[in-house]
Amino acid sequence: MSAVDPVTVEAAGEVTSSDRRGREERSDFGTYLIGKIVSAAVSFLFTLIIGFTIFSIMPSDPVSALTRGRPTSAAQIAELKKQLGIGKPVWQRFFEFVHRTLTGDLGYSYQYHATVSSLIGSRIWPTLLLTGSSTVISIVIGLWLGIRSGWRHGSLLDRLSSGVSLTLWSVPTFWLGLILLVVFSVGFGPIPSIFPAGGMSSPDFGGGAAGHVVDVARHLVLPCLTLVLVVFAQYVTIMRSSIIDELGSPYLLTARAKGLRDDDVRRKHAVPNALLPTVTIIFLQIGGLVGGAITVETVYSWPGLGYLTYNALRIPDLQLLEGTFIIFSASIIVMNLLADLLYRFLDPRVRAT
Amino acid sequence: MTDLRSASRVRRRLAASVLALAIVALTALFSGAAPPATAASGSTLGVVSDTELTTFNPFTSYYDGELNIIGVIYPALTVNDKDNIPQPYLASKVEHSADAKTWTFTIRTGLKWSDGKPITVQDIVWTYNLIMKNKAAASANGSIVENFATVTAPNASTIVIKTKSPQANMLYLSIPIVPQHIWQSRVKNIGKELNTETPVVGYGPWILTGFKTDQYATLSRNKDFGTDFVVSQPKFDKLISYYYKSTDAAVSALRSGQVDQLTGMTPAQFKQLGKNKDLAVYQTAPVGWTGIEVNPGARTKAGKKFGTANPALADQRLRSAIAWSINRPQLVTKILDGLGIVGAGYVPASFKQWAWQPTAGQKIGYDPARANKILDQAGYKKDGKGVRIDPKTGKEISLRLGIHSDDDQDQQIAQYVKPWLQAIGLKIKIEPMSFDVLNKNLVKGDWDMLMDGWSTGSDPTYLLSIQTCGALPPDTSTPGYTDAFYCNPKYDALYKKQLATANQSERAKYIGQMQSILYNANIDVTLYYKNQLSGLRKNDVKDYLTGAADAQGVYPLQNHVVNWSLATPIKHKSSSNLGLYIGVPVAVVVIGAAAGLVALRRRSTAAERE
Amino acid sequence: MTIRPAAPPRTEGLRRFVRAYLRMPTGIAGLVVLIAFVGLALSAPLFIGANDLDVTKVNGPTLAAPSAHYPLGTDQPGRSVLLLVIWGSRTSLAIGVVATVLTMVVGATIGMVAGHYGGLIGRGLMHLTDWFIALPGLPLAISLAAVLGQGATSITIAIAVTSWTGTARLVRAQTLAVEARPFVERARALGARNIQIMLRQVLPNVMPLILVSSTLTVAGAILSETTLTFLGLGDPTDVSWGSMLNQAFNQGAVTGGAWWYLIPPGVAIVIVVLGFTLTGRAVETILNPRMARKS
Repeated sequence: MSAVDPVTVEAAGEVTSSDRRGREERSDFGTYLIGKIVSAAVSFLFTLIIGFTIFSIMPSDPVSALTRGRPTSAAQIAELKKQLGIGKPVWQRFFEFVHRTLTGDLGYSYQYHATVSSLIGSRIWPTLLLTGSSTVISIVIGLWLGIRSGWRHGSLLDRLSSGVSLTLWSVPTFWLGLILLVVFSVGFGPIPSIFPAGGMSSPDFGGGAAGHVVDVARHLVLPCLTLVLVVFAQYVTIMRSSIIDELGSPYLLTARAKGLRDDDVRRKHAVPNALLPTVTIIFLQIGGLVGGAITVETVYSWPGLGYLTYNALRIPDLQLLEGTFIIFSASIIVMNLLADLLYRFLDPRVRAT
Repeated sequence: MTDLRSASRVRRRLAASVLALAIVALTALFSGAAPPATAASGSTLGVVSDTELTTFNPFTSYYDGELNIIGVIYPALTVNDKDNIPQPYLASKVEHSADAKTWTFTIRTGLKWSDGKPITVQDIVWTYNLIMKNKAAASANGSIVENFATVTAPNASTIVIKTKSPQANMLYLSIPIVPQHIWQSRVKNIGKELNTETPVVGYGPWILTGFKTDQYATLSRNKDFGTDFVVSQPKFDKLISYYYKSTDAAVSALRSGQVDQLTGMTPAQFKQLGKNKDLAVYQTAPVGWTGIEVNPGARTKAGKKFGTANPALADQRLRSAIAWSINRPQLVTKILDGLGIVGAGYVPASFKQWAWQPTAGQKIGYDPARANKILDQAGYKKDGKGVRIDPKTGKEISLRLGIHSDDDQDQQIAQYVKPWLQAIGLKIKIEPMSFDVLNKNLVKGDWDMLMDGWSTGSDPTYLLSIQTCGALPPDTSTPGYTDAFYCNPKYDALYKKQLATANQSERAKYIGQMQSILYNANIDVTLYYKNQLSGLRKNDVKDYLTGAADAQGVYPLQNHVVNWSLATPIKHKSSSNLGLYIGVPVAVVVIGAAAGLVALRRRSTAAERE
Repeated sequence: MTIRPAAPPRTEGLRRFVRAYLRMPTGIAGLVVLIAFVGLALSAPLFIGANDLDVTKVNGPTLAAPSAHYPLGTDQPGRSVLLLVIWGSRTSLAIGVVATVLTMVVGATIGMVAGHYGGLIGRGLMHLTDWFIALPGLPLAISLAAVLGQGATSITIAIAVTSWTGTARLVRAQTLAVEARPFVERARALGARNIQIMLRQVLPNVMPLILVSSTLTVAGAILSETTLTFLGLGDPTDVSWGSMLNQAFNQGAVTGGAWWYLIPPGVAIVIVVLGFTLTGRAVETILNPRMARKS
């Protein structure tokens, strides 16, 4: 992530200068790390409890749904019930569920005739590509705008970007996706159909491996644009208020007093300090973005986890739904953990304590 | 100092180009393996799959989209022609005994699977016996072979099928035959076998050569396919069947030329695409009905009653009043934009050999006054609020209407049915349910009315069997395959009779009588048969059968297997795919710009610092 | 975060608040939008009759483009899209408001209890809140709504379950601040019970904060409602903005060229959400001087 944004690198650079305090903190860091990992594990266990509770609320009888419209023998039904673990006490099912989840067995999707973990394994990459690329672009635009708006808050640029951010925040993601779909894929008025309407690649695009990359990028443009438009606004707001928080700080006065140019004061002093909370918050949001892409993936038939969730929802294919829920939760927990570690790594004050 | 600075600048530039590369690599990496490069000279027919594509295991698959592909990569004893009449395929000749219980097929020799091994009678015997004996292998076609006693091969070019009771629809039963040498090792896990590892060894006009779950299946022309079948050698080099979750994506693909043919548009899209000069839009005959099931009371085979259906629905008069209150033609005009046929018989009107129409005296139209009269005469008095009272219980009659929450048509129909039933004094509660819950309630008998739809192949035996007593559940905990728990000995007798009648036109008479019984019972109110709305890129493909309506307004059926072979490419001097010319550069520019922007930023930053 | 204890004459505080509010054009714009929409939603039954919405009674053309008679065109059964958008505001606003009330009650209760008691209960509740924050919002809401069955009730519950955590944190912080004040100490010294302190001393002081936070929550709740309904989890026979978009999407309005069916409900959502957000931010700015500096 840091390679993307110029300011992040600078921030890290500035902090490392105070990296002298040295070794006696190593063990301290060890306990910190262990503490964070334990709390992440507890949090994950809580997620499992919630997931299990939700999916046990419905007195599920998938057997009758599975056999609908087809003559089935009693033996077949008994076999199915055994497979699905129907008729066991709740606590036993819960422990089996936790055990299965921890060993990577998330169940079986009867809609896809495949294990949930294999489905997730194949769908996670498109989702990472979509959320990854849109996050990168959102961060670049969001921080760039946020820094400038915050530095000169009240200026035309600030008011403009705040207005745009606020409006985009109010737009339902799926609707924005539909509108972009109408304009750029279906073609509206004089605008021809420029981008494909769905999927991730065309099998007959040609051009070998390089052609394939271009083909995927072509499919990626609209869903990525939709996510960027919705997400970058939040980054603008966060960055802007962090910068404003720093504005009155005495160290900026000192810097100015030293005769540094305004741009330099901003870049070398205000930005690195304001970045700290921003980076943390952004990290916290990335985890949520993975699950938030459900509607975008649905509108553009993007073959990722969100689309898988939507497909599972219609039946509903409960084991698949449960599996994606666990993965979405896990991604948030992992990102939170990373944010905690990053925060400690970046902030000298936290490291000192 | 200077040295240090320039070094840092180099590092920054390096970082920038690394980033640029990283974004490209990200796309390359996460986009998965590239599909095999296609020869630029080859012609490709792009079509849209009716349903999701997840498996091509002929023993377990029962979705239309998958079956269409299975139908062109595996052979069968017979194959349907463009009019959906069975014609010789692996079998060159068929004879049956007078009692229609022994069927003798003469099998062609000299045909080869796509891996070069010969197709033998042993493959056929093995496939049939597997379905007859292995429960997991029977999940798709088990009901077809239920009546089979033995399938044997007395010599290298003959197959003999003996059935327990007469089976008149034998030629319609085209079960895909698989190569034994490939499938033998898969038997153990056959229920979970997806058969998606390409190329798939089979025999047919096409060979399955590429597949991406839920996205597309790629097929190549089988150059060794025989020339003396009703299904011809394909004219296109490649066939790609795409699956789109949303019809919008499918329609856009048709407009942009990614696909050449699409079946399954909404009326709004059909109207809009009709204005496009590159496209021919056409209708094909419905293969199914959309209707409302009415629950006269759930019962087991032994007659044990269960479930929570409103007991008043057991009264035939109440059910007929419901039928009279529904304006079927208005549903066709409003929901289908007129692109469909008003419902009557249980077998869709497009199967002309089986179609049945009610007589003038029997016909149920839209007449709320008459419906009210029927109810008044039957003793269902209205209370102060205008709701009818069940004289047996003294309670207001309140009915649940279960609809599929993910089915837009169900939702639309429900909006109409509610006020119509209220107009004759019946309270109605619409219950949107997921597919899963709806089926669960159906099996348990916990419903009053629900939206349903069935489609059928050209032989209606299975569809008709749903309404027999044999489809009732054996006990309350084991589901049957009945819809409305209907059981009528007269209907069952006719069912057996039609199955034993080898003369197809005589058989049609019995099937007509069965439909008449169902029509009068009103347990299944057939609302309409929805025409399938299709589009074809007429400047790119010719010889694709689109067909026109007959005098009764009935369009011909669509046979994908036949059409995919008939379709012929039209050669163009230059492609006019404007979108591609803009879209590709934009995609390249976007990748480049994201990287370039950052690179530029870094350089300027570095420069300012000098 | 702290709010000045504007204890003295209440009317004076109110007057000052109104004066400050009137100086903010964005706030006024937001409020005007809200009043207009709420007014339209409440008065809708006066000019939209059952016959305008009953599909068996309307006689408009099927999915027709805007015309003099139908300013925003018609939907598939031939109903006026304009009337549907107006009628749809009732469902969308109702679900948004009810879900917000639910969110506030749950969030405020947990936040106050956690702040007041501290110790094991307080820490336990805060851990619970933290764990809930880590749950993915949309997937959780989807799973809940899918399991509870389609309809407005389950959507409302799903929204409340996924959004109470923010309120709980906010209220807890404020509770801690309020309880540190002398008048709470005094009440405690006078022998007030826990419940009394929470209801009489803490709640009135936390209330303004809850109200501010609720305007912003309504905005989020309306967005969630339309998203969940669009995904097919709403009551399909209800007219709401989400269900209109769901039907437009399913009936092929996007490629069928029926933009008049697609754009109005979306624009209505954006305007109302923006209205709530602007109002909420304006109030926040007045009550929280630190925020005022930022905008």
